[in-house]
Amino acid sequence: MSAHADGPSDPTRSGSPVPAGAGALLSRNEVEMLCLKAARGAGMSWGLAEEAGFAAGWLAARGLDGAGPMLARLRRADDGTMSQGNLSMSPVGWASDDKTVLCPIAVGAALCDFANLPETTMADGPLKIAPVCHPVLLLPFLPILAACRSGAVALAASGCTVVVTGLGQLTGDVAGLADIAVADVDLSPSPAAAPAPATRFQPASVPQDVSRGLDGFAMRTTVPASVASRAGAGAATSDND
Amino acid sequence: MTRNRTASAPDGAEQAFRRRPDQVMRLARMGCAHPTRLSFLRSLLRRVETEGWRFDRPVWEIDANGVGRAVYRAIGPERTYSLVCFAHDLPADMRSDRVIATAWDATFTLFDGEPGAADLDRLQANVPLQEAGRVSARELSLSRANRSVRLFAHVVDRLAEGHQPDAAEIAAVGYLMRTTAVYGSGKFGAADRTVIADRSELAAPFQAEMLSVWMTREFTVDIVEHMARQSAANRGKTTAARLDRDIKRRLGVGNSTGLGMAPFLVRHPVLLNNWMMARESALARVRAQATATSEVVTGLTAALDDARQNADLWLSEHPIQIAKLAVLRRNLQAIAAHLADGFQPQQSLPWDALWRWGEATLSLEGQEALLALMLEPHGDLVDDLAESMSADEAAVFRLDGAMSVAGLQQILTESYGWALAIDFAQPENQRRFWYVSEEKLEPRLGDRFEEAGAELEQPLCVARLASELDAALGQWPGDNPVAAFLLAHPEHRFMVRRAQVAAAHPYAEVQDNLIADDMLPIDLMRCKLAFFGASRFDPRSDKWVRISLFQGLPYPSELSR
Repeated sequence: MSAHADGPSDPTRSGSPVPAGAGALLSRNEVEMLCLKAARGAGMSWGLAEEAGFAAGWLAARGLDGAGPMLARLRRADDGTMSQGNLSMSPVGWASDDKTVLCPIAVGAALCDFANLPETTMADGPLKIAPVCHPVLLLPFLPILAACRSGAVALAASGCTVVVTGLGQLTGDVAGLADIAVADVDLSPSPAAAPAPATRFQPASVPQDVSRGLDGFAMRTTVPASVASRAGAGAATSDND
Repeated sequence: MTRNRTASAPDGAEQAFRRRPDQVMRLARMGCAHPTRLSFLRSLLRRVETEGWRFDRPVWEIDANGVGRAVYRAIGPERTYSLVCFAHDLPADMRSDRVIATAWDATFTLFDGEPGAADLDRLQANVPLQEAGRVSARELSLSRANRSVRLFAHVVDRLAEGHQPDAAEIAAVGYLMRTTAVYGSGKFGAADRTVIADRSELAAPFQAEMLSVWMTREFTVDIVEHMARQSAANRGKTTAARLDRDIKRRLGVGNSTGLGMAPFLVRHPVLLNNWMMARESALARVRAQATATSEVVTGLTAALDDARQNADLWLSEHPIQIAKLAVLRRNLQAIAAHLADGFQPQQSLPWDALWRWGEATLSLEGQEALLALMLEPHGDLVDDLAESMSADEAAVFRLDGAMSVAGLQQILTESYGWALAIDFAQPENQRRFWYVSEEKLEPRLGDRFEEAGAELEQPLCVARLASELDAALGQWPGDNPVAAFLLAHPEHRFMVRRAQVAAAHPYAEVQDNLIADDMLPIDLMRCKLAFFGASRFDPRSDKWVRISLFQGLPYPSELSR
């Protein structure tokens, strides 16, 4: 992979450019696409990478930081602190069959997939999920579960509780949850909290180091340029006509 | 929603006349698509006329070298949109239509509202850089255009001499500038689709982009006349000629596009379904008409005359398109002969009879042209379908984990039989792979057996993914839920989602192998561009094409009230 120069018109520059300084305002579409590509670059299947993009975009649409936790999650794929095993479900709870830290995207997707199935009834007490990293990334998946169960679901982790309704409204200590790197998670049915007033979407401010980190993962989905590939991609005629 | 509907068959009858997906969703036929009155630029023009939009040009700060900025306003009943234009002096050696270009003759953004001086300064620092700049949620599109060097210079020269340009030169090119990318929805910081989706004027697909391109057309004429005045002054003349109205009409906005456009239809299956469903429903409604009034038949004849004239003016040097054009011209002649001496408006279901005659007689190119012709005089009957062409993709994102494995297998059998029949052990059936180049993220197509990078293949190989999913499901108990299958096989999640979408959206999938040796990307591009309303499709290779937009249609200034 060639080095990427930073000139504004550098033809080898890849990805969405990031202005110098503290960060950039990214549209929801940009957050989703960047995280989808980054998740794929970090090794997720295309279908789970779509879930990763969805989750980061869902948080961004509520003014929350989805890109930062996503980058932290993807870095775990590189440093080996992420489960390589399958999610195993028992009456006691959900855990990785190799007893390591679970991916919140894989768990979140499974919560949605099983939302109408016995594995998520929460009838005999909370659904206990053994350690999940960056549990704030579970929130985008809870409205589906909430809609299928009691109308709202409470997520408790390390003393923080957040309630999510079937309509996607959030109440509770979201900021505290966002600070948690790894925790056991309890999910339980909850009476729906009073809906918070709807806020208009504001583009998410994403710090430069986060954008660059995600961009680095996203670039792993691309194929290095070659003379042959460059030549085959364009018109067979001149554009100066 | 229905407006001004004439007597038409009930929906059940309409369905009986609708073409089947396995007929419609084939690349060979999609690659013969013609623009229709449901195309997005036609919808835009209908709205602008009906609602009495006004257009003006409050800013024109272009210097003697043709460098500077301009603003065009589109003032609708509720909101105003402004095209902000930047004109540049581009050295010839930097002129490239590829996405890897870094400078252009002109750059544009569609501003949501009316920009102040500070907005213009902010945009001037970013829009000329295109992908390397940033716009904001106040902007709805980002685009650029290059001159047709030959025609632009010819028109400047002729106008400066006080003459009109040569008609043959105009006909040979058909536009002064061609856009080389028009970005919308949330790209490079622009407003997300959700911000504008509930505005009636932007609810249909690509309306902001079409409005931007239409106003760009006005700019291309203004800038060529501006340059002609400068050229005349340099020659010691006090004035230059202005473009004659009829010649102006013959100029559209060109567009030059490559592979980047081709995957769009595959990545947006619900949108593709809704576009196709609207068009096919329109054809079905027309075929279901019990009679043909003389007024409508006259409209059909007029549309045919226009189509024949268009086919005569439609030029291409690409062997594939040359052959298609020859067939099209013959087929249009055959339709004219049939209308004169075979078509019986008084017979029962005359439009269905015409269509059946066409299917039995015409090539794919001729049949798709006939479709466009049959819709043309039936605006009252079909125009409301344009309102059903957008898609809420978020609503179908969540997959159904409770579906049984057997149920999913059933979907594959019913909706993907065309894919399951392909033998992927044969090299010709998987020779190509779609990938994204590190180089400015340009989408490209490689040869799996000769080029590196196949392990980074994009998931556009839908037929093979369906085939692999089917094989994996065969190893799993049929009464298990899909959720359990996906827990063990996350690699199939992408295709499971697609298959569940396809089950409810019959026109969602292109029913051809997109990695086959002989697949032509330009077929996908022509289909998409026809839905935009593009004409004069002119391939420059099997994955690169030029087209014209708005050619022959009015300018904003002509419709302004």
